[in-house]
Amino acid sequence: MAREVVIGACPHDCPDTCSILTTVEDGKAIAVRGNPDHPFTKGRLCVKVNDYQNRVYSDQRVLYPMKRVGPKGSGQFARIGWDEALDTIAGRWKAIIAESGPRAILPYSYLGTQGIINGLNVGDPLFNKLGATVCERTFCDSGSCTAYMMTIGHTPGVDPESFVHSKYIILWACNTLSTNSHHWPFIEQAKRNGAKLVVIDPVRTRTARLADWHIPIRPGTDGALALAMMHIIIKEGLTDRDYIDRHTIGFDELAERCEAYTPEFASAETGIPVEDILKLAREYATTPPAVVRIGVAVERHAGGGQTVRAIACLPALIGAWTHVGGGLLQLPIWAFPVNWAGLMRPDLQSESMRVINSWKLGPALTGEMPLDPPIRALFVYNANPMAMVSQQQTIERGLAREDLFTVVSEHFLTDTARYADIVLPATTQLEQADIMFSWGHLYLSYNNPAIAPLGEAVPNTELFRRLAKAMDIDDPFFFRSDDTMIAESMDWSSPVLAGITLDELKQKGYMRLTMDAADSWAPHRDGNFPTASGKCEFKSSLAAGGNFVVPLFRQGYGGDQSGEPVDPLPHYLPPNESLRTAPALAERFPLSLISPKSHAFLNSNYGNLPAQVAQAGEQQAVLLHPEDAGPRGIVAGTPIRVFNERGAFEAFATLSADVMRGVVVAPAGFWQRSNQRGPTVHALTPTAFADLGHAPTFSDMLVDVAAA
Amino acid sequence: MAYVVTDSCHGCRYTECVTVCPVECFHLDEQMTYIDPENCIDCGGCAPICPVGAIHPSWQMPAGKAEWVEINRLRAAETPVIAAKIPPLPGADEQARRLAS
Repeated sequence: MAREVVIGACPHDCPDTCSILTTVEDGKAIAVRGNPDHPFTKGRLCVKVNDYQNRVYSDQRVLYPMKRVGPKGSGQFARIGWDEALDTIAGRWKAIIAESGPRAILPYSYLGTQGIINGLNVGDPLFNKLGATVCERTFCDSGSCTAYMMTIGHTPGVDPESFVHSKYIILWACNTLSTNSHHWPFIEQAKRNGAKLVVIDPVRTRTARLADWHIPIRPGTDGALALAMMHIIIKEGLTDRDYIDRHTIGFDELAERCEAYTPEFASAETGIPVEDILKLAREYATTPPAVVRIGVAVERHAGGGQTVRAIACLPALIGAWTHVGGGLLQLPIWAFPVNWAGLMRPDLQSESMRVINSWKLGPALTGEMPLDPPIRALFVYNANPMAMVSQQQTIERGLAREDLFTVVSEHFLTDTARYADIVLPATTQLEQADIMFSWGHLYLSYNNPAIAPLGEAVPNTELFRRLAKAMDIDDPFFFRSDDTMIAESMDWSSPVLAGITLDELKQKGYMRLTMDAADSWAPHRDGNFPTASGKCEFKSSLAAGGNFVVPLFRQGYGGDQSGEPVDPLPHYLPPNESLRTAPALAERFPLSLISPKSHAFLNSNYGNLPAQVAQAGEQQAVLLHPEDAGPRGIVAGTPIRVFNERGAFEAFATLSADVMRGVVVAPAGFWQRSNQRGPTVHALTPTAFADLGHAPTFSDMLVDVAAA
Repeated sequence: MAYVVTDSCHGCRYTECVTVCPVECFHLDEQMTYIDPENCIDCGGCAPICPVGAIHPSWQMPAGKAEWVEINRLRAAETPVIAAKIPPLPGADEQARRLAS
């Protein structure tokens, strides 16, 4: 019996990018486990990935190309060969391009696979070359990225491993133990070293339960808290004047702006007592090293961008950056010298591309968004919009269009894939090679394929080679091998890759970027912010250009930005939908709904697999405060209906005072055609963008709940 | 939902599990360890490292072991946390061999 252990890396859109050891016997993967040698992920995986081999060998896998043989959405498909699939796709695309132009084709993708060569940008060169519509993919962190860029630039920020040196840790809108769990031991070590852990979250999550201080906050009001913290710090002279003078711009204007944001103002907005706001600001400013870890959730409301702007100003105000373990942690991804332009190839674009935002898929398909030409072909990979995107019913109507030609490349027949005309089989991480960045630690990873592809599944790289050939493209760039693509995916001349070779990376599976060790990493001790001024910009120079989405999320395209005016100073924008801002709406729908990540799913990944569905309790649960449930006659464990003007979905009630009164929590990830058997939470989510970077606002909505 | 220590630990108590647990959810008595389901984050790090395969997810308990879900809950509430590995009980290696055969 041939037995080997293969080193790989987790493919999921999660900050942890775990090092995985796959045991292979006679060509079959029999088990996966965490690699105990990895300094960050330390031998553990998680509830999503512990049985990854069961995802690979699931009897639900799509293993061959298929064509639709029943009505759209019926899930009736017949196996075809790759040649027929490619001929059909190329034939339809060429006809559509001839009749309507290439803009009638819309690619749609995100990070269903996060590997650098198979992930976010793998299809960009082909669609840029064809001149298809650009898909602006602002699913996650786009508002934060814009805000970050405006304030402190694209810095990796604090090394997550440096947290062991922190003495005051704020986890802000981040449920570490569910969505970033390999960071936890570093936080726990800091606690053992005497650090205080504060969690700011509307819900007493499993992370908040282990904090020294949980501060419940009304959804969408975090900006008021951050601005009031600045008000207090400035008013009480808790600032680091030397740091401000040398490494920031716009302090006087910021101080003037913050005058209005009193603790009383913030208390009325957030529901946090004034004395707690005072205590938080004072402790944060006087307990160095102080660090803030923000979660993605912080951007998902009307003022999400400005919230991140305000939070990103805080560390410079108190000179937190001067300490190892002080500052802000959001996206260490910016440390990785990825050859983004070589991956996206914006040079292949024409001068004027059409851009459609990923959150507007429904109206773009139905024609409710006026488009000339209309979308006639949709190509979906690394994404399941029917389960995860707002306006679910509109998307469904759009996908049901008889004249829309839809191709979906997938592991499974997802809610989206059921509407495809052609379904293509994609490999899982065990069947493909890739090189991986992380947005939660500073290790570059390599994923060695553990087994041969099952059936006729292909990696996305091979998928796009085949599509390029079918579309008669002859540029050799489109036919590079995976090894060449991996070699060309990074800027190997970057100092952070000094001493790292691909051969060694393949063998070890991971290597730390060549940066200061976590025990000495203080990237902005002397300023050096990657902004236009080189300083932390309290007053942002980038605001002059108006609102924008970073080109990374737009296939590299910098044109056709929305450009709405942006205030150069941080400010507070209340939620669109709250008791205070929409009282008439709140009379009918008095509860705020938030839809965080499910503990057992990775977005909609695993929403169809037995182990994770069992862990998630078999069915969609919605968490309610007993005092909100009682008057509605809702009993724990019974079916309920959650609804607003946009739609409704069914769930089972969980009752706990862990959630604030007036807030309901519906973790996302169940599929319509799996256990949910009907619309999901995204049937209710709003369509408005947040203020910056076209972030979604799906933690900014009012609903009501009734016994079903 | 949580991971669960079953009676295979009884008399062995290798405590490899506590070296990988990120949330200190293991508790201990004279015979074996227990997982506090309130703190367990389902990471599963403990299951493959256990020398006798005593640990299973509560949603996939082996036949005849379901009662250990509740036993872990009750005993974890009554027993102290174990934060560092301790020597196994006398006779652990013999029991491990017995369980493996």
